[in-house]
Amino acid sequence: MIDGLLILLFFQFLGEILIRLTGIPLPASVVGMVLLLVALLLNTPFTQRVAPAAGALIKHISLLIFPLGVGIVLQWHRYEDYAVALAVAVVIGTILSMLLVTLMLKKLMSKAGEPHEP
Amino acid sequence: MSPELDNLAALAHTPLFGILLTLASYRFALWVYGKSNSLPVFHPFLVASIPVIIVLPLVGVDYEEYRDQTRLIAFLLGPATVALAWPLYRQLHAVRSVLTPIVVATLIGAAISAAIAVGLAWWLGAPAEVVGSLAPKSITTPIAVEVVKSTGGYVSLAAGAVAITGIVGALTAGPIFRLLKVNDQRIKGFALGLVAHAIGTARAFEYGEKAGAFAGLALGLCGLVTAMALPWIWPWVAQWLGQ
Repeated sequence: MIDGLLILLFFQFLGEILIRLTGIPLPASVVGMVLLLVALLLNTPFTQRVAPAAGALIKHISLLIFPLGVGIVLQWHRYEDYAVALAVAVVIGTILSMLLVTLMLKKLMSKAGEPHEP
Repeated sequence: MSPELDNLAALAHTPLFGILLTLASYRFALWVYGKSNSLPVFHPFLVASIPVIIVLPLVGVDYEEYRDQTRLIAFLLGPATVALAWPLYRQLHAVRSVLTPIVVATLIGAAISAAIAVGLAWWLGAPAEVVGSLAPKSITTPIAVEVVKSTGGYVSLAAGAVAITGIVGALTAGPIFRLLKVNDQRIKGFALGLVAHAIGTARAFEYGEKAGAFAGLALGLCGLVTAMALPWIWPWVAQWLGQ
């Protein structure tokens, strides 16, 4: 667990360093994620030990997120004028995306072929 | 009020109170979610918010102060985002053979999801900050709340839009797959992970291990692609939308 946490914080820190040096407009944690992914793919020693800490954080990601979400209700005055636009964009937009993405996948995947699929 | 009671009331303004309230609400939400057999509408994100939304105004803590109290929890979002590399690495191994169509599908799918949300909100007259908050709505929340800073959006709104997108996606996927006559587990999983991130991935696992693996992969790749592309593309999009 401690090893995993150490690895995660280390790669986030690397991401932070890279961003400060290059000025690229990406979040440090996303850069850290890419760096860790590359390290894992290259079979870098010790990186596999990230598993327990990574699993625990991802499993309880809702705990880390929902305090941000309550702001929608508690700061509703900011959003109330655009409630309809928001509802349509989020609900109808999601259904539309789901339809289009599924159609696109049907096209792409049938071209790629799947002879082993029962 | 007596000095003792004043002293007691001041407790509400400590980080201990904020974190205790947050953790207790989350624990309650997990219990509800389990009781409901993991129904998407009872997702912990929604249920856990309810006690916090009720209690904070009662004890006179505003949202800004609550954010300050729970800084410790917010900090963990950074390492949690880095942690997403782990499931992505595991899934990449599992699907090496169909990697090219998957990458192409991710690029197109991520663009479709973001463009529809941005387009609809803009068309209905939402201001720049609101439109910007919706751009990352199909990607997993820890990445979305980071990326939204580059589109000038509101973190709260982005987090909420992401959660509702996941819930709507998970609920409508079944009927949509029937309508389009989709039987391929890989397509079901990939579509769910791409559009409805983690909540869609949980739904995909109900179709089977294979659908779940493809959903997990789509979630990771879509988040990665969007996070890498949006900060560069957004200034151009914002200009084009005339904002």
